[in-house]
Amino acid sequence: MTTIRMVDPAAATGKTKEIFDAVLRREAVVFGATAVSNIWRCMGHSPSLLEANWNRSRALMQRGRFTPLQRELIATAVSIGNACTY
Amino acid sequence: MRLGVDEVGVTELMGVTEHTRALATAAAGLCLDSLESTRSIVSPIDSGAAEAAVKAVLEEIAAWAETAMGRPGAPILWRVLAGNPHYIEATWRKERALMDDGALLARDKRRTALGVAMAMRGRYMIEYNAAVLRHAGDTDHDLLEVLGVVDHYTTLNTLSEGMQIESDIRPPA
Repeated sequence: MTTIRMVDPAAATGKTKEIFDAVLRREAVVFGATAVSNIWRCMGHSPSLLEANWNRSRALMQRGRFTPLQRELIATAVSIGNACTY
Repeated sequence: MRLGVDEVGVTELMGVTEHTRALATAAAGLCLDSLESTRSIVSPIDSGAAEAAVKAVLEEIAAWAETAMGRPGAPILWRVLAGNPHYIEATWRKERALMDDGALLARDKRRTALGVAMAMRGRYMIEYNAAVLRHAGDTDHDLLEVLGVVDHYTTLNTLSEGMQIESDIRPPA
């Protein structure tokens, strides 16, 4: 069970809402998401953490020469190695 | 994984991951701290002194290393494993089966292997996979792209495990 309550995107305001909207637009394209995924909702309690990690996600996962698949292969393998079930 | 990879590709990805982790563990277990290491807790075997079956495998590995890494001779990890003919034979055959082109391209597998080795701080396998990628034409920029994904997913994995976040991402129907 998640150890903190998740921020409800419908109740988000300001910078948090702006980033949630951007996350959902991105995730809808990448894997057909219809709602902001839980990890970003948890980060929503700290807008500065949310913004910093969203900016890094854009920099590291959306820009560069690799294809989305090439990045996702590495990301999945690293997550397996880190025993991360999420 | 919803980027056009089917169950075969996902299974290949799992194979690359577990194989890289196993080799990194073997290298660390032998105290091989670098691709250039000459010291190990188990002595390496030279192909000239090996029995016929092992000699054939070491020569095959040396030919591969020349082509894939631009290096003469079998890398020390393989020369150490050669102390057990069954070990080197089974592990090298697995390496070739898993790391050659399949549903996933060999270069993508090698970049993934580099990411796995970076994530577990396995210096020997970092250098090993980086050498293969460098020889295939990868640049500093490419290696930094791998590192960037490793770095970012270490962040996300830490947050999701620390907060015990339940996955809300389901495989496609």
